[in-house]
Amino acid sequence: MRIAFIGKGGAGKSTVGSTFARLLARRGHHVVAVDSDPMPGMCFGLSLPVIDSPIPDDAVVEKGDGETGPRYRLRPGLDAATALSRYSMTGADGVQLLSYGKTRGEWGDVARGQHAWSQILDELPRDSFDLIGDLPGGTRQPMTGWGKYADALIVVVEPTAKSLATATRLATLRESKWNYREVVAVVNRATETGDAQLVQRRTGLTVIATLPSDDAVARADRLGIAPLDADPTGPFVAAVDMLVSTCIDRYSLAELQQHHTCPAKDSAR
Amino acid sequence: MTTSTDISLEWVDKPTDSAIKIAVVGKGGSGKTTTSGVLARTLARRGFSVVALDCDTNPNLGISLGVGDTETERLAAIRQALDDEGSEHAPSWHELIDRFGSDAPDGVRLAVVSRIENPEPG
Repeated sequence: MRIAFIGKGGAGKSTVGSTFARLLARRGHHVVAVDSDPMPGMCFGLSLPVIDSPIPDDAVVEKGDGETGPRYRLRPGLDAATALSRYSMTGADGVQLLSYGKTRGEWGDVARGQHAWSQILDELPRDSFDLIGDLPGGTRQPMTGWGKYADALIVVVEPTAKSLATATRLATLRESKWNYREVVAVVNRATETGDAQLVQRRTGLTVIATLPSDDAVARADRLGIAPLDADPTGPFVAAVDMLVSTCIDRYSLAELQQHHTCPAKDSAR
Repeated sequence: MTTSTDISLEWVDKPTDSAIKIAVVGKGGSGKTTTSGVLARTLARRGFSVVALDCDTNPNLGISLGVGDTETERLAAIRQALDDEGSEHAPSWHELIDRFGSDAPDGVRLAVVSRIENPEPG
Protein backbone atom coordinates (compact mmCIF):
# COMPACT_ATOMS: atom_id res chain seq x y z
CA MET A 1 0.00 0.00 0.00
CA ARG A 2 0.98 3.60 -0.41
CA ILE A 3 -0.51 5.97 2.13
CA ALA A 4 0.52 9.26 3.72
CA PHE A 5 -0.45 10.92 6.98
CA ILE A 6 -1.28 14.64 6.95
CA GLY A 7 -2.90 17.04 9.43
CA LYS A 8 -2.31 19.95 11.73
CA GLY A 9 1.07 20.24 13.43
CA GLY A 10 1.11 18.22 16.63
CA ALA A 11 -1.93 16.13 15.68
CA GLY A 12 0.15 12.96 15.90
CA LYS A 13 1.10 12.20 12.29
CA SER A 14 4.63 11.03 13.06
CA THR A 15 3.63 9.01 16.09
CA VAL A 16 0.76 7.31 14.28
CA GLY A 17 2.79 6.91 11.08
CA SER A 18 5.84 5.34 12.67
CA THR A 19 3.76 3.00 14.83
CA PHE A 20 1.69 2.06 11.79
CA ALA A 21 4.84 1.39 9.73
CA ARG A 22 6.31 -0.94 12.37
CA LEU A 23 3.08 -2.87 12.93
CA LEU A 24 2.76 -3.34 9.16
CA ALA A 25 6.37 -4.54 8.98
CA ARG A 26 5.64 -7.07 11.74
CA ARG A 27 3.06 -8.59 9.41
CA GLY A 28 5.79 -9.34 6.90
CA HIS A 29 5.57 -6.28 4.68
CA HIS A 30 8.64 -4.48 3.33
CA VAL A 31 7.93 -1.00 4.66
CA VAL A 32 9.48 2.31 3.69
CA ALA A 33 8.76 5.22 6.02
CA VAL A 34 8.76 8.36 3.91
CA ASP A 35 9.48 11.55 5.84
CA SER A 36 9.39 14.81 3.91
CA ASP A 37 9.67 17.11 6.93
CA PRO A 38 12.98 19.00 7.17
CA MET A 39 12.66 18.18 10.87
CA PRO A 40 12.02 14.46 10.55
CA GLY A 41 9.52 13.22 13.10
CA MET A 42 9.31 9.52 12.43
CA CYS A 43 12.83 8.76 13.72
CA PHE A 44 11.60 8.68 17.34
CA GLY A 45 8.92 6.10 16.63
CA LEU A 46 11.39 4.02 14.62
CA SER A 47 13.99 4.15 17.41
CA LEU A 48 16.45 6.01 15.20
CA PRO A 49 18.64 8.95 16.19
CA VAL A 50 17.86 12.45 14.91
CA ILE A 51 20.71 12.81 12.45
CA ASP A 52 21.13 14.32 9.02
CA SER A 53 20.79 11.69 6.35
CA PRO A 54 20.36 13.65 3.15
CA ILE A 55 20.63 11.98 -0.22
CA PRO A 56 24.10 12.95 -1.51
CA ASP A 57 24.41 15.20 -4.55
CA ASP A 58 26.26 12.55 -6.55
CA ALA A 59 23.19 10.27 -6.48
CA VAL A 60 21.94 12.18 -9.53
CA VAL A 61 23.26 13.50 -12.80
CA GLU A 62 22.04 16.65 -14.52
CA LYS A 63 20.28 16.24 -17.83
CA GLY A 64 22.24 17.19 -20.86
CA ASP A 65 21.42 19.89 -23.38
CA GLY A 66 18.43 18.98 -25.51
CA GLU A 67 17.31 16.13 -23.25
CA THR A 68 13.75 16.15 -21.95
CA GLY A 69 12.43 15.22 -18.53
CA PRO A 70 13.38 16.35 -15.06
CA ARG A 71 16.52 18.35 -14.47
CA TYR A 72 18.17 15.63 -12.38
CA ARG A 73 17.90 11.84 -12.66
CA LEU A 74 19.41 9.04 -10.57
CA ARG A 75 22.81 8.40 -12.06
CA PRO A 76 23.11 5.61 -14.65
CA GLY A 77 23.14 2.17 -13.04
CA LEU A 78 21.50 3.36 -9.82
CA ASP A 79 17.94 2.04 -9.64
CA ALA A 80 15.34 3.06 -7.07
CA ALA A 81 15.65 -0.04 -4.88
CA THR A 82 19.43 0.25 -4.75
CA ALA A 83 19.22 3.96 -3.99
CA LEU A 84 16.75 3.21 -1.20
CA SER A 85 19.02 0.64 0.42
CA ARG A 86 21.95 3.01 0.14
CA TYR A 87 20.36 6.25 1.36
CA SER A 88 17.81 5.09 3.93
CA MET A 89 18.30 4.23 7.58
CA THR A 90 16.90 0.96 8.90
CA GLY A 91 14.92 1.40 12.08
CA ALA A 92 13.00 -0.84 14.45
CA ASP A 93 11.23 -3.85 12.92
CA GLY A 94 13.23 -3.37 9.73
CA VAL A 95 11.37 -0.26 8.60
CA GLN A 96 13.52 1.78 6.21
CA LEU A 97 13.36 5.53 6.77
CA LEU A 98 13.83 7.61 3.64
CA SER A 99 14.03 11.18 4.84
CA TYR A 100 14.18 14.33 2.85
CA GLY A 101 16.42 17.25 3.64
CA LYS A 102 18.51 18.20 6.58
CA THR A 103 17.66 18.70 10.21
CA ARG A 104 20.26 21.38 10.83
CA GLY A 105 22.56 23.82 9.18
CA GLU A 106 22.52 25.54 5.85
CA TRP A 107 20.20 24.37 3.13
CA GLY A 108 22.23 25.19 0.07
CA ASP A 109 20.89 23.71 -3.14
CA VAL A 110 18.44 20.94 -2.31
CA ALA A 111 17.22 20.36 -5.86
CA ARG A 112 19.44 17.31 -6.42
CA GLY A 113 18.32 15.54 -3.27
CA GLN A 114 14.72 16.46 -3.93
CA HIS A 115 14.77 15.01 -7.44
CA ALA A 116 16.44 11.81 -6.22
CA TRP A 117 13.89 11.48 -3.42
CA SER A 118 10.94 11.87 -5.80
CA GLN A 119 12.35 9.50 -8.37
CA ILE A 120 12.99 6.78 -5.79
CA LEU A 121 9.34 6.98 -4.70
CA ASP A 122 8.10 7.02 -8.30
CA GLU A 123 10.10 4.01 -9.35
CA LEU A 124 10.11 1.65 -6.36
CA PRO A 125 8.16 -1.45 -7.47
CA ARG A 126 4.63 -1.17 -6.10
CA ASP A 127 4.30 -4.88 -5.43
CA SER A 128 7.37 -5.18 -3.21
CA PHE A 129 7.46 -2.00 -1.15
CA ASP A 130 4.81 -0.39 1.04
CA LEU A 131 5.18 3.38 1.47
CA ILE A 132 4.00 5.00 4.70
CA GLY A 133 4.40 8.78 4.45
CA ASP A 134 4.58 11.51 7.04
CA LEU A 135 4.18 15.08 5.78
CA PRO A 136 4.89 18.27 7.73
CA GLY A 137 1.98 19.78 9.61
CA GLY A 138 -0.43 22.13 7.89
CA THR A 139 -1.58 22.53 4.32
CA ARG A 140 1.41 23.69 2.28
CA GLN A 141 3.19 20.41 1.44
CA PRO A 142 0.02 18.34 0.93
CA MET A 143 -1.45 20.98 -1.38
CA THR A 144 1.70 21.31 -3.45
CA GLY A 145 1.93 17.62 -4.29
CA TRP A 146 4.41 16.28 -1.77
CA GLY A 147 2.13 13.36 -0.99
CA LYS A 148 1.49 12.35 -4.57
CA TYR A 149 3.30 9.03 -4.16
CA ALA A 150 0.36 7.95 -1.98
CA ASP A 151 -2.89 6.37 -3.14
CA ALA A 152 -4.70 7.49 -0.01
CA LEU A 153 -4.17 10.43 2.32
CA ILE A 154 -5.08 9.92 5.95
CA VAL A 155 -5.80 13.14 7.85
CA VAL A 156 -4.93 12.83 11.53
CA VAL A 157 -7.44 14.97 13.43
CA GLU A 158 -7.67 15.85 17.09
CA PRO A 159 -11.08 16.83 18.44
CA THR A 160 -10.05 20.49 18.73
CA ALA A 161 -11.20 23.58 16.82
CA LYS A 162 -7.87 24.26 15.11
CA SER A 163 -7.27 20.63 14.16
CA LEU A 164 -10.80 20.43 12.73
CA ALA A 165 -10.32 23.66 10.76
CA THR A 166 -7.08 22.32 9.31
CA ALA A 167 -8.69 18.99 8.41
CA THR A 168 -11.57 20.79 6.70
CA ARG A 169 -9.07 22.64 4.49
CA LEU A 170 -7.20 19.40 3.78
CA ALA A 171 -10.48 17.74 2.76
CA THR A 172 -10.36 19.89 -0.40
CA LEU A 173 -7.52 17.62 -1.57
CA ARG A 174 -10.25 15.20 -2.70
CA GLU A 175 -10.78 17.58 -5.62
CA SER A 176 -7.11 18.25 -6.26
CA LYS A 177 -5.11 17.40 -9.35
CA TRP A 178 -3.03 14.81 -7.50
CA ASN A 179 -5.44 11.92 -8.13
CA TYR A 180 -5.68 10.60 -4.63
CA ARG A 181 -7.88 7.54 -4.52
CA GLU A 182 -9.17 8.65 -1.17
CA VAL A 183 -8.78 11.27 1.52
CA VAL A 184 -10.01 9.93 4.87
CA ALA A 185 -9.65 10.82 8.54
CA VAL A 186 -8.34 9.19 11.68
CA VAL A 187 -9.29 10.70 15.05
CA ASN A 188 -6.37 10.95 17.45
CA ARG A 189 -6.42 11.60 21.20
CA ALA A 190 -10.11 10.86 21.27
CA THR A 191 -11.63 11.34 24.70
CA GLU A 192 -15.36 11.28 24.09
CA THR A 193 -17.62 8.79 22.38
CA GLY A 194 -18.91 11.39 19.92
CA ASP A 195 -15.47 12.44 18.64
CA ALA A 196 -15.60 10.38 15.45
CA GLN A 197 -19.05 11.76 14.58
CA LEU A 198 -17.81 15.28 15.32
CA VAL A 199 -14.86 14.89 12.93
CA GLN A 200 -17.01 13.33 10.24
CA ARG A 201 -19.66 16.04 10.50
CA ARG A 202 -17.26 18.96 10.58
CA THR A 203 -14.78 17.83 7.92
CA GLY A 204 -16.99 15.70 5.66
CA LEU A 205 -14.26 13.05 5.74
CA THR A 206 -14.95 9.38 6.41
CA VAL A 207 -13.40 8.38 9.75
CA ILE A 208 -11.70 5.00 9.38
CA ALA A 209 -10.26 4.73 12.90
CA THR A 210 -10.44 6.32 16.33
CA LEU A 211 -7.24 6.33 18.38
CA PRO A 212 -7.82 6.91 22.08
CA SER A 213 -6.02 9.38 24.26
CA ASP A 214 -3.41 7.24 26.02
CA ASP A 215 -1.20 8.37 28.91
CA ALA A 216 1.48 5.90 27.83
CA VAL A 217 1.84 7.77 24.51
CA ALA A 218 2.20 11.09 26.34
CA ARG A 219 4.92 9.61 28.55
CA ALA A 220 6.70 8.12 25.53
CA ASP A 221 6.54 11.50 23.74
CA ARG A 222 8.08 13.17 26.78
CA LEU A 223 10.94 10.67 26.80
CA GLY A 224 11.39 10.59 23.02
CA ILE A 225 10.80 6.86 22.75
CA ALA A 226 8.43 4.87 20.57
CA PRO A 227 4.95 4.20 21.99
CA LEU A 228 5.29 0.71 20.56
CA ASP A 229 8.27 0.10 22.84
CA ALA A 230 6.90 2.01 25.84
CA ASP A 231 3.53 0.25 25.95
CA PRO A 232 3.21 -2.42 23.25
CA THR A 233 -0.13 -3.69 24.52
CA GLY A 234 -1.72 -0.32 25.35
CA PRO A 235 -4.94 1.07 23.85
CA PHE A 236 -3.17 3.39 21.37
CA VAL A 237 -1.06 0.61 19.85
CA ALA A 238 -4.07 -1.73 19.72
CA ALA A 239 -6.08 0.92 17.85
CA VAL A 240 -3.26 1.57 15.37
CA ASP A 241 -3.02 -2.18 14.74
CA MET A 242 -6.72 -2.19 13.86
CA LEU A 243 -6.04 0.74 11.51
CA VAL A 244 -3.35 -1.38 9.82
CA SER A 245 -5.92 -4.12 9.20
CA THR A 246 -8.39 -1.57 7.83
CA CYS A 247 -5.79 -0.11 5.47
CA ILE A 248 -4.74 -3.55 4.22
CA ASP A 249 -8.40 -4.19 3.40
CA ARG A 250 -8.85 -0.83 1.70
CA TYR A 251 -5.53 0.11 0.14
CA SER A 252 -3.41 -2.98 -0.54
CA LEU A 253 -2.30 -3.28 -4.16
CA ALA A 254 -4.41 -6.42 -4.68
CA GLU A 255 -7.47 -4.60 -3.38
CA LEU A 256 -6.88 -1.58 -5.61
CA GLN A 257 -6.40 -3.77 -8.68
CA GLN A 258 -9.43 -5.92 -7.92
CA HIS A 259 -11.66 -2.88 -8.01
CA HIS A 260 -9.99 -1.54 -11.13
CA THR A 261 -9.35 1.70 -9.34
CA CYS A 262 -5.61 1.39 -9.18
CA PRO A 263 -4.53 4.92 -10.01
CA ALA A 264 -2.54 5.54 -13.13
CA LYS A 265 0.53 5.87 -11.00
CA ASP A 266 2.69 3.17 -12.50
CA SER A 267 5.95 2.41 -10.83
CA ALA A 268 7.79 3.61 -13.90
CA ARG A 269 7.14 6.98 -15.42
CA MET B 1 15.16 25.96 10.93
CA THR B 2 12.61 25.68 13.67
CA THR B 3 13.61 27.31 16.90
CA SER B 4 11.87 28.49 20.02
CA THR B 5 11.45 31.94 21.46
CA ASP B 6 10.89 32.91 25.05
CA ILE B 7 8.43 35.69 25.53
CA SER B 8 8.42 37.87 28.61
CA LEU B 9 6.03 40.68 29.29
CA GLU B 10 8.26 42.27 31.96
CA TRP B 11 9.92 44.58 29.48
CA VAL B 12 6.70 45.74 27.90
CA ASP B 13 5.01 46.73 31.12
CA LYS B 14 3.29 49.78 29.71
CA PRO B 15 2.73 51.39 26.36
CA THR B 16 5.69 53.36 25.06
CA ASP B 17 6.39 55.39 21.98
CA SER B 18 8.23 52.64 20.16
CA ALA B 19 6.32 49.76 18.64
CA ILE B 20 7.41 46.23 19.43
CA LYS B 21 7.33 43.31 17.05
CA ILE B 22 7.20 39.75 18.32
CA ALA B 23 7.27 36.59 16.24
CA VAL B 24 6.23 33.32 17.82
CA VAL B 25 7.79 30.16 16.38
CA GLY B 26 8.15 26.50 17.33
CA LYS B 27 7.18 22.93 16.51
CA GLY B 28 3.68 22.18 15.25
CA GLY B 29 1.23 21.68 18.08
CA SER B 30 3.51 23.22 20.70
CA GLY B 31 1.15 26.15 21.22
CA LYS B 32 2.37 28.98 18.96
CA THR B 33 -1.09 30.10 17.91
CA THR B 34 -2.60 29.80 21.38
CA THR B 35 0.31 31.73 22.91
CA SER B 36 0.09 34.41 20.21
CA GLY B 37 -3.63 34.88 20.73
CA VAL B 38 -3.31 35.31 24.50
CA LEU B 39 -0.25 37.54 24.10
CA ALA B 40 -2.01 39.83 21.64
CA ARG B 41 -5.12 40.26 23.78
CA THR B 42 -3.10 40.69 26.98
CA LEU B 43 -1.07 43.48 25.39
CA ALA B 44 -4.24 45.10 24.09
CA ARG B 45 -5.77 45.04 27.55
CA ARG B 46 -2.71 46.88 28.84
CA GLY B 47 -3.35 49.68 26.41
CA PHE B 48 -1.23 48.69 23.45
CA SER B 49 -2.58 49.04 19.95
CA VAL B 50 -2.09 45.49 18.70
CA VAL B 51 -2.05 44.03 15.19
CA ALA B 52 -2.02 40.23 15.10
CA LEU B 53 -0.59 38.86 11.86
CA ASP B 54 -1.24 35.23 10.99
CA CYS B 55 1.77 34.26 8.88
CA ASP B 56 0.91 30.55 8.80
CA THR B 57 -0.10 29.03 5.46
CA ASN B 58 -2.66 27.17 7.57
CA PRO B 59 -4.08 30.20 9.40
CA ASN B 60 -5.81 29.44 12.70
CA LEU B 61 -4.98 32.51 14.79
CA GLY B 62 -8.56 33.79 14.53
CA ILE B 63 -9.75 30.75 16.46
CA SER B 64 -7.34 31.42 19.32
CA LEU B 65 -8.15 35.16 19.36
CA GLY B 66 -11.81 34.33 19.70
CA VAL B 67 -13.30 35.53 16.39
CA GLY B 68 -14.68 32.05 15.70
CA ASP B 69 -14.32 29.40 13.00
CA THR B 70 -16.46 31.13 10.39
CA GLU B 71 -14.67 34.48 10.51
CA THR B 72 -11.27 32.74 10.58
CA GLU B 73 -12.21 30.87 7.42
CA ARG B 74 -13.58 34.03 5.78
CA LEU B 75 -10.27 35.85 6.35
CA ALA B 76 -8.33 32.93 4.92
CA ALA B 77 -10.62 32.85 1.90
CA ILE B 78 -10.32 36.55 1.05
CA ARG B 79 -6.56 36.31 1.41
CA GLN B 80 -6.61 33.35 -0.99
CA ALA B 81 -8.82 35.30 -3.41
CA LEU B 82 -6.30 38.11 -3.39
CA ASP B 83 -3.55 35.70 -4.41
CA ASP B 84 -5.77 34.13 -7.05
CA GLU B 85 -6.26 37.55 -8.67
CA GLY B 86 -2.61 37.36 -9.51
CA SER B 87 -2.15 41.09 -9.10
CA GLU B 88 1.42 42.19 -9.48
CA HIS B 89 1.62 44.43 -6.46
CA ALA B 90 1.49 43.11 -2.94
CA PRO B 91 -1.00 44.92 -0.73
CA SER B 92 0.46 47.62 1.46
CA TRP B 93 0.43 46.99 5.19
CA HIS B 94 -2.47 49.32 5.88
CA GLU B 95 -4.46 47.92 2.98
CA LEU B 96 -3.82 44.43 4.30
CA ILE B 97 -4.99 45.41 7.77
CA ASP B 98 -7.94 47.54 6.66
CA ARG B 99 -9.39 45.55 3.80
CA PHE B 100 -8.31 42.05 4.71
CA GLY B 101 -8.35 42.28 8.48
CA SER B 102 -10.96 41.68 11.13
CA ASP B 103 -11.66 43.08 14.58
CA ALA B 104 -10.92 40.62 17.35
CA PRO B 105 -11.82 40.96 21.05
CA ASP B 106 -10.01 43.55 23.22
CA GLY B 107 -9.43 45.74 20.18
CA VAL B 108 -6.87 43.49 18.51
CA ARG B 109 -6.81 43.84 14.71
CA LEU B 110 -6.24 40.51 12.96
CA ALA B 111 -4.95 40.04 9.42
CA VAL B 112 -3.99 36.92 7.50
CA VAL B 113 -0.68 37.39 5.72
CA SER B 114 0.01 34.03 4.13
CA ARG B 115 -2.13 32.22 1.68
CA ILE B 116 -3.44 28.72 1.59
CA GLU B 117 -2.05 26.94 -1.41
CA ASN B 118 -4.58 26.42 -4.13
CA PRO B 119 -5.14 22.69 -4.66
CA GLU B 120 -7.02 23.18 -7.93
CA PRO B 121 -5.43 21.97 -11.12
CA GLY B 122 -3.35 24.62 -12.75
